[in-house]
Amino acid sequence: MNHVAQSILANGQASAAILSDSLQVEGLSKHFQGTDTAVFRDVSFNINKGQAVALIGANGAGKSTLLRCCVRLVEPDTGKINLSGEDLSGKSGRALKKARRRVGFIFQKHCLVPRLSALTNVLHGNLAHRSGPRNWAQSFARQEDRQRAMHCLEQVGLVDLAYQRCDQLSGGQSQRVAIARALMQEPSILFADEPTASLDPQSGEVVMELFARLSQSRDLTLFFVSHHVEHALHFADRILGLRSSELQLDSASHSESIQSLREFYA
Amino acid sequence: MPEPSQTRPALPPLRDRFQRPSWLSSALFAFFLGFFLWSLAGAGMSLQSLLHGLPNMGTIVGEMFPPATDRAQPILKAILVTFQMALVGTVIGVMLSVPMALLAARNTSPHPLVRYVTRSIISFVRTVPDLAWALFFVVSVGLGPFAGTLTIIVDTIGFCGRFFAEAFEEVDPGPSEALDSIGSNPLDRIAVVQIPGALASMINTSLFSLEKAVRSSVVLGLVGAGGIGAELAVSMEMFRYDQAAFIILAIFILVYIVEGFSSRMRDRLLHQNR
Repeated sequence: MNHVAQSILANGQASAAILSDSLQVEGLSKHFQGTDTAVFRDVSFNINKGQAVALIGANGAGKSTLLRCCVRLVEPDTGKINLSGEDLSGKSGRALKKARRRVGFIFQKHCLVPRLSALTNVLHGNLAHRSGPRNWAQSFARQEDRQRAMHCLEQVGLVDLAYQRCDQLSGGQSQRVAIARALMQEPSILFADEPTASLDPQSGEVVMELFARLSQSRDLTLFFVSHHVEHALHFADRILGLRSSELQLDSASHSESIQSLREFYA
Repeated sequence: MPEPSQTRPALPPLRDRFQRPSWLSSALFAFFLGFFLWSLAGAGMSLQSLLHGLPNMGTIVGEMFPPATDRAQPILKAILVTFQMALVGTVIGVMLSVPMALLAARNTSPHPLVRYVTRSIISFVRTVPDLAWALFFVVSVGLGPFAGTLTIIVDTIGFCGRFFAEAFEEVDPGPSEALDSIGSNPLDRIAVVQIPGALASMINTSLFSLEKAVRSSVVLGLVGAGGIGAELAVSMEMFRYDQAAFIILAIFILVYIVEGFSSRMRDRLLHQNR
């Protein structure tokens, strides 16, 4: 068991919380549009509350598509998705939006609005719960929301750059703003699609450390895609591996080695 | 040390710098050339007429100096009205263009049919010349600046509607997808992603539209739609070229000020933190 789960137990939280399913995926399949070629087929796995799970696989293996299918940003062809006991498969419109509020999503290219300040971008995390002009820009925001957004920036170590435009931040700083935006949303599960892919090794390490620290302190479930097998081994409790359109690996990270995971890319 | 030629693989031969055109390209070029020569006659191009007109041009230019200031007050008032028409027409036009562009852009339109209909309306508005709109509004609402203002509103919708829609389509889809993934609603995404993302381009287009409207509102007066154009037409018809020179000078100063102002505004707005 890695430090995330250990920390939860050390904090005296009930092990039942870890065992309760946070994300349950059953028989998920997706084909390339208009073809019989599967991106992935019959993928099933569970992620327990508070667990950190890494998804690895070569380029084009379907990792990002699988991650997006889990919140139906991409529609799977078949299969069931259960998020904290709620079936996402049949939902549409408002019900689907409501279910997505619990899921924070970090993208490879951080996906911030470049012209706006870091503080305003963080505030946008609130749009998951409350719509309207109060959350469009920091100038219109309620005082308590502004303070909460500042607190989120403080947690990622960027409070000094709160009023800086995001197009003036470095890649690592931008990714930390994206994490702060996800924290503002107060999700119960955090998805991250190659969050360190566009960063240099040092910034990537900082971002992954941040993920680990925040998932510990906030009891967040973490599901991340990574090409860095070292990150998968160090920061995840479990590792899932996609190869040849199938989930060929689902094991505890402590039972894997860098060598065995690198062979997975061969 | 081995010779470079022994270690490097042979490069493929270079292509000719110029390729022989295909028979279709040659035929199209010949057709274009023939049509252009025919068009020279159709456009009434005549060197003889130009040479014959040169002394007249010299006479008119001579009579323009010094510009007459005897009607300075009504002319400056007409210049002010021209600017007011352009400003009001542009601001209202820009405001109406934003929802039209949102309905016309691929990534913000609620339905392809809505997009097609809105695009068609914008295209129609844009392709009809502003003088035709001016004549239509003069007949509809009567002579005066109101007809000119309506013309500028319609002209601005045709211009800004298209460019705003293109600006919305060019916005990076990433931030919108990120907010969609957390369950935000489309109106919020338009407000926090699409509009800020396209704002630089929208400001540019709007300011350019204001410059265009100022120039256009000068011409609209010629068909009775208010502004300085009517004054210019009267001066030219009454052979008061000195008065016409004053009007042209006033128009030049107005356009120069508007362009200078829009250029400064563009710089300030684009570098502002939000």
